[in-house]
Amino acid sequence: MAEDEGRTKVVGTNRLDKLHGKVDYTPGPANAELLCLLSPARLAQISICSLMEIYVRLVHTIRTLKEDPRWPGWELVVGIEVHAQIKSRAKLFSETFTADLDEPPNSHVSPFDAAFPGTLPRLNSKCVELGVRTAIALNAEVQRRSAFDRKHYFYADLPSGYQITQQYAPIARGGGLKLDRDDVFVRIKQVQLEQDTGKSAFLPRNHLSAIDLNRAGTGLMEIVSEPDMRSPEEAADYVRTLQALLRCVGSSDGHMEQGSLRCDVNVSVNRAGSPPGTRCEIKNLNSVKFMMIAITCEAHRQIELLESGRSVPQETRGFDEDRAETYALRSKEDAPDYRYMPDPNLPPLLLDQEYITKIRNDMPELPDMTRARLLALDLSRRDTDVLMDVDSGREVGFDGELGGGAVAYFDSVARGRDPKAVVNWITHELLGQLAFRRETFKENPISVEQMGNLIDLVQTGTITGTSGKTILRHLLSNHSQDMPSKLAEQLLLIAVRDDGSSLEKWCSEAISALPEEAKIVRTGNVRVVNKIVGRVMKASRGRANAEDVRAMLLKMLQ
Amino acid sequence: MNPGPCQYYSTQTTRLEQQNATLNALVYLDSNPPASVHTRSLLNDLKLAVKDNICTRSMPTTCSSMMLREFQPPFDATVVKLLRDGGASIIGKTNCDEFGMGSLNVHSVHGPVVNPYIPPFSRGKPFCQEQRSAGGSSGGSAAAVAAHMCDESALGTDTGGSVRLPASYCGIVGFKPSYGLISRWGVVSYADSLDCVGILTRKIRDVMRVFELASVYDPKDPTAARPATRTRAFEACKSYLPQFTSTLTGLRIGVPQEYFPAELQPSALSPIRTVLEALKSRGASIIPVSLPSTPYALSAYYVISSAEASSNLARYDGVEYGLRIDLAPDADKTKTANVYAHTRTRGFGKEVQKRILLGTYALSADAFENYFLQAQRVRKLIRADFDRVFCVPNVLTTASTSAVDGVHVLLHPSAIRTAPPLPNDKDSHQEATPDGLDDYVQDVLNVPASLAAFPWVWRQKDEWPMGVSVVGQWGCDEMVLKVGEIIESLQE
Repeated sequence: MAEDEGRTKVVGTNRLDKLHGKVDYTPGPANAELLCLLSPARLAQISICSLMEIYVRLVHTIRTLKEDPRWPGWELVVGIEVHAQIKSRAKLFSETFTADLDEPPNSHVSPFDAAFPGTLPRLNSKCVELGVRTAIALNAEVQRRSAFDRKHYFYADLPSGYQITQQYAPIARGGGLKLDRDDVFVRIKQVQLEQDTGKSAFLPRNHLSAIDLNRAGTGLMEIVSEPDMRSPEEAADYVRTLQALLRCVGSSDGHMEQGSLRCDVNVSVNRAGSPPGTRCEIKNLNSVKFMMIAITCEAHRQIELLESGRSVPQETRGFDEDRAETYALRSKEDAPDYRYMPDPNLPPLLLDQEYITKIRNDMPELPDMTRARLLALDLSRRDTDVLMDVDSGREVGFDGELGGGAVAYFDSVARGRDPKAVVNWITHELLGQLAFRRETFKENPISVEQMGNLIDLVQTGTITGTSGKTILRHLLSNHSQDMPSKLAEQLLLIAVRDDGSSLEKWCSEAISALPEEAKIVRTGNVRVVNKIVGRVMKASRGRANAEDVRAMLLKMLQ
Repeated sequence: MNPGPCQYYSTQTTRLEQQNATLNALVYLDSNPPASVHTRSLLNDLKLAVKDNICTRSMPTTCSSMMLREFQPPFDATVVKLLRDGGASIIGKTNCDEFGMGSLNVHSVHGPVVNPYIPPFSRGKPFCQEQRSAGGSSGGSAAAVAAHMCDESALGTDTGGSVRLPASYCGIVGFKPSYGLISRWGVVSYADSLDCVGILTRKIRDVMRVFELASVYDPKDPTAARPATRTRAFEACKSYLPQFTSTLTGLRIGVPQEYFPAELQPSALSPIRTVLEALKSRGASIIPVSLPSTPYALSAYYVISSAEASSNLARYDGVEYGLRIDLAPDADKTKTANVYAHTRTRGFGKEVQKRILLGTYALSADAFENYFLQAQRVRKLIRADFDRVFCVPNVLTTASTSAVDGVHVLLHPSAIRTAPPLPNDKDSHQEATPDGLDDYVQDVLNVPASLAAFPWVWRQKDEWPMGVSVVGQWGCDEMVLKVGEIIESLQE
């Protein structure tokens, strides 16, 4: 990354080009024509990947209307602006550490965050890096030159009276996200970096507003989609897919409930075959469930207006969770004039190709690729889903620090081992035991080395599967640092390998102890042998192999 | 309502107090400045006065505004820290126009500054001296230096002439370095893209002492010139400056024709004539040049500076710090802006309010294109004008090529007139100037170089002082100071 060295004086004037350029970017509604416009020579230059992308977009644009039983004859169009908090250690323009929700109010505030006179912003390069990572994950075009603007409004949780954002020249444009279901492709318009605000809460009892600036100045990524979703379910799918992607690249932890991911949703309806209707924006939705309800009831409201011969006024609306309805916040005419101005303190952000390439090369594997890779290892779809589900719930580290998830754990343990055996031990035994103990994967105390050693012991027959599970439980309860091979010895769990003499002894003892059952088996009812097998297993404390025991018993009871 | 000239008297500083009672240059006096421990430092024991819009941890920083009347910053500005570390002690804070907005230092909650200059014709007759303006907005700094209240130097800030104009009016040296050389961290923003810390002294060599310590790259200022850029500029400047011996042969001095506007007082011409003749007689070439965009500079300056001011001053809302005026019990509290309006109406003076309104309008959706963007275009043209006439290339623009027969520096009058008289009624300082634009016209000669951000120096002559300005390419601060020294020596 390079900042515009020494060109500070012309910041204003240089930005003019971009300011003028605010109309020169028209997000491509003309994608359907794209293929026709491309000459064969140009087509030959386009990689298969981008052709695929064009194809996907093409499919999208000519997507046929799917009749929705909730509103037959109507088409719903949804676009979403997601504000995702950047998971950086420090804020976007100050060195103050970002705050957790449980920290005391105003404990993470520097003079800059409180807009003290004389303070100046200083761009946190980690936030830029995570923004670029996100843009690359969305297949967006990272802009070699972007710039910061001030958006002005007076509010108690905005100490400087303006928010620093990227109105005219965002850090990335274009790209898109393929949703899991129905091959839906949602195009991304742009990604911009901006500051989060503080929080204000009205205390009705003493008629005061309480202001907490812990969040003020935290980095946000505003990710703006094109209006490419056609149902509340697709909107939900988009947000969830985006959430997983952000978590995967480590740029945001995307917790809607905790406010680190918030959505503004644009909704319009039109009669099937007609051009799009007037849109309303629903602000500040903070759960996927409420977002779906809000879209649904907003669709019903707009259809009702249109069907009664009225029109939908363009406005900004809020959502009342208790009454499950949207309500008008302000009309288009009341829209505030934000008086955008290029920030005279921040030189344009110039990113050189080398910097972008380095981030691209160091990108963590994206969810689609992970899934494909795991399936290619011959893991079952179910095991893959379980691993990835657990993985997406992992703690997102600060400043893009990766690792620590279930997939990474699997990858490490599976190195040089049978992937299917490893995934079995992880998804069935380890996750099963953790769930039984009401612990999450994050709390797993078993190291990669311990897990690998345990699987090796079982795979080589040094211990039986049953003993393996015993050791696993032992490791979980005692948080033991010992290797399973040592534990197997301590716990006398090494499988017996004495040419069957011990086995024979245990079997004879079991037969003597259970004469009735032995008798029944002798008469030909083989099923009852399982009870005697159980006795032997208990006596051997799992060291005997159940199959061998069964065979030996059947031989002895012939 | 009006406070005394200096609210914070010190018992140790009687002489200063007495002087200050007349001049109103200092608004805070440090009663016991810490003894310097830097026995061998560059600024050993230098007593420095600092403009009241530069943050000081141990003293209030009011910006001459009711809004920050009680404000004491939690940190020192980088430039203050650098000079303190270099051995200087800060004797106090100087009066200025509110947030730096003004040309006569009359828009101050502390009252106007009186020009300490005593013209030869009235020397020895103190009682018949009329009271003249010290210029603004760094009027307190200029007056303190001119009246020997601080050792040699004071810090000011210059957005559109706020160091150069008061220096001219008070008859001292005012130096506005290239934008980005002295850190702005801790300098209260008026218009970020124009604000510069400036140095006011009586001798150019004193400028050099302070500038050397203060001109350091500061990572806390995102607009600071990077070390590599400084080096490039330094080398470019060095390679173009002729080696002078006894003559000035090879020194090319440009005289921009647009800098002699109709508003210029005829008497203002004699100092620059004298200087030019002297330079010529020692071998320098005097070359008429044209900076054709100059006539648009003043309007562009007021649009840009007001727009930035309206943005920068949005933070004074009475919530986190500063003045807070509680609402009347029956007031409409439904909108945050209504709540803030009470504080902002009382806290800001008329001039500041006027510029906030101007700037807010310039940034509004309807006016943005015609005012703000248009002004930015003009700014670009002005910059190109300067790049065309200098022989030294501009290191900030990669494509810049210098003029083959370009000039080293430009020379022009610093002001259109000598210091104007102060309005008689001191108590109505907020309304001291008529609502017209007279005040703004004072800046007409200083603004273009602000928009292009070049260094500047003053020289005096005449009965009431009248400056001569030396302007150089960005980063050629050494060259400008060198030429300034030559002019200084001509006078002696």
